Amino acid sequence: MRSEDAPIAMRGVAPQAADLLSNDPGGRSESSSRRIRIIGPPAFSAGAVFSGLRALIQYSDLLYVLSLFRLNIRYKQSILGWAWAALQPLALMAIYTFVFAHVTKVNTDGTPYSVFVFAGLLPWIFFSSSITNAVHGMVAYPSLLTKMYFPREIIPLSYLAAGVADFLISSVILAGMLAYYRIAPTWNLFYGIPILVILGAFAAAIALFFAAVHVRFRDVGLALPFVLQVWMFATPVVYSLQAVPARFRRLYLFDPVAVAIDSFRGAVLYGRAPDARMLAVAAGEMIVGLTLAYAYFKSSEATMADVI
Amino acid sequence: MNDLTLDRVYKKYKLRPKGNLQKRWYKAFATRPTEMWALQDVSFEVKRGEALGIVGHNGAGKTTILKLLSTITAPSRGQITIRGRLAALIEVGSGFHPELTGRENVYLHGAMLGMRRSEIARKMDSIIDFSGVEKYIDQPVKRYSSGMYVRLGFSVAAHLEPDIVLLDEVLAVGDVAFQAKCVDRIAALRKDGGTIVFVSHDLASIYRLCDRAILLDRGRVLMDGAPRAVVDMYQNMTFGDQETTAESQLDCGKIAACLSVVFSAPDPSEAVRTGYPMVARLRYRAAATIPNAIFRISVYWPSGYLCAQLTNESSGCNLTLEAGRGEVTFECPVLPIQPGLYRVDLAVESEGKEFDSRQRCATLCVEAGKSAMGDFYIENMCRLRTYSS
Repeated sequence: MRSEDAPIAMRGVAPQAADLLSNDPGGRSESSSRRIRIIGPPAFSAGAVFSGLRALIQYSDLLYVLSLFRLNIRYKQSILGWAWAALQPLALMAIYTFVFAHVTKVNTDGTPYSVFVFAGLLPWIFFSSSITNAVHGMVAYPSLLTKMYFPREIIPLSYLAAGVADFLISSVILAGMLAYYRIAPTWNLFYGIPILVILGAFAAAIALFFAAVHVRFRDVGLALPFVLQVWMFATPVVYSLQAVPARFRRLYLFDPVAVAIDSFRGAVLYGRAPDARMLAVAAGEMIVGLTLAYAYFKSSEATMADVI
Repeated sequence: MNDLTLDRVYKKYKLRPKGNLQKRWYKAFATRPTEMWALQDVSFEVKRGEALGIVGHNGAGKTTILKLLSTITAPSRGQITIRGRLAALIEVGSGFHPELTGRENVYLHGAMLGMRRSEIARKMDSIIDFSGVEKYIDQPVKRYSSGMYVRLGFSVAAHLEPDIVLLDEVLAVGDVAFQAKCVDRIAALRKDGGTIVFVSHDLASIYRLCDRAILLDRGRVLMDGAPRAVVDMYQNMTFGDQETTAESQLDCGKIAACLSVVFSAPDPSEAVRTGYPMVARLRYRAAATIPNAIFRISVYWPSGYLCAQLTNESSGCNLTLEAGRGEVTFECPVLPIQPGLYRVDLAVESEGKEFDSRQRCATLCVEAGKSAMGDFYIENMCRLRTYSS
């Protein structure tokens, strides 16, 4: 039997679920192994982050199932199905190639513009569409929030996971283009993985924050398209960072997305190792951003059902 | 050992002022948002294996308590402690995704309730079997009827093997056979020492299912005790109000009105029992002299069907009412109806003209007496005669 002072020690710490002991997955548990949850008023605190993460791990199967079904649902009742994942970046590639290779010239250091822009569009589309889907998905089924309990961050995170799958599909096309243009990959290609982890985690931070605010104020969803539009042109997606005048370039280094996309293209197309200092700054911003966003999300989660 | 503890819990809702958010934005400087306390200083605990009923009028805070216990929303103040796995059978099936098949939704819904994939896979056959929708399990649930939806949802939740169950009139779903299955499931859960919190307007089922009950009124706990006492108190509250309304209606030109009815044994302090005498005392008020008045006391089953009626129409007793108040007494030598809680309608008419008819305005609580199985107790004499060979 648990000592009675355990819940008191938790007072003021847990906004939602503080799972002190994990539940026996088989039938009814003995009292000694029963899970204890203490629910108090919402709080913006470090304790909320830890208890939130613990609950998230407990619900990891839901994240898996929901992400899987997201992909499943998205292409149901559509003829082209999975081809849609690749179609969007391909269409954007075509139009940007027309504008920036034929109407006006962008300096790409000798790489064909189509593969240059495609290597930038892939991570950008992953970033922007994950955020857009997560923010709108948060309010798409209000009854989920008002009738059921599960850690709410699973909704935006499942859209992010679906975005990863789309990214992998269109990566196949990128690989095909690299082969077509005879651009030989180097071992530096593997820098792409930590770069994408930073980008994905930063996307999670933005998605969690915007999704939590969007539940209260739908202004977020309305502003999102043009915020992302501006952000895209402020990021070296359709042009190269090297083409930016030196006095502006320093500003780019504060944007983890710009750093990630430029480094990704460098690693994949040019076989360049990323600038470690730039990447470290981006990673630091990502960690701070994600922690704050998650803490905000958890403190706001407790009353989402009341305000949606 | 308490499975649930609410310690001085408060819940506040902010009411949105009229108009949309843009109007509020600039109004916000001038006016403060209106606050509504859905719960105020609510404390109670539920012991392991106990079945607690929560009653109260609409807006008393019943749903808020369920939402707090199921962690859908957090209290504004105070603390709630939950020991064990909790299943909320509130609007089951609301977590379903219409595009997914029944089977996929079982995985999704099960995971939302906190089950592991392996656990769901293990119980899949049993879940499908219990729900009775096996023929359509691989169809998208958007093609399901609402009954199938709820049955599948309940079936998943019922397989959670919870320590604590929250029930919110879900028993009123599905056909009779499915309802019976649900009741069996809950009975089995109780037998295993499961804890139950049951919120209902149906006083009869509170009376039948619960060990203890709580009466909520405007966000506060008004009473906490035996179901019998709480149900009585709730009714006094309700009918206390109704008697006042009946009086005020009278002033609006009603010729006659039924005010209240009290059921008891011939000794007014004794409870009503099956197979024993019962007396019903009906108080009325008349505004004029009424010849050939006919009173009806209709007694309904919890299911809503008419069970029996007490009336002076069939007994040939002729009543002439004078202006003013009075009481009509019905004496029954043997009460044939079974123990339970019945709802009661009152009506008064004369020569085909109805003066007053009040639905569900009282209850009849019958305690165990000379009980037998079946719908009614039949008064009988029993004799033995042996045949000599």
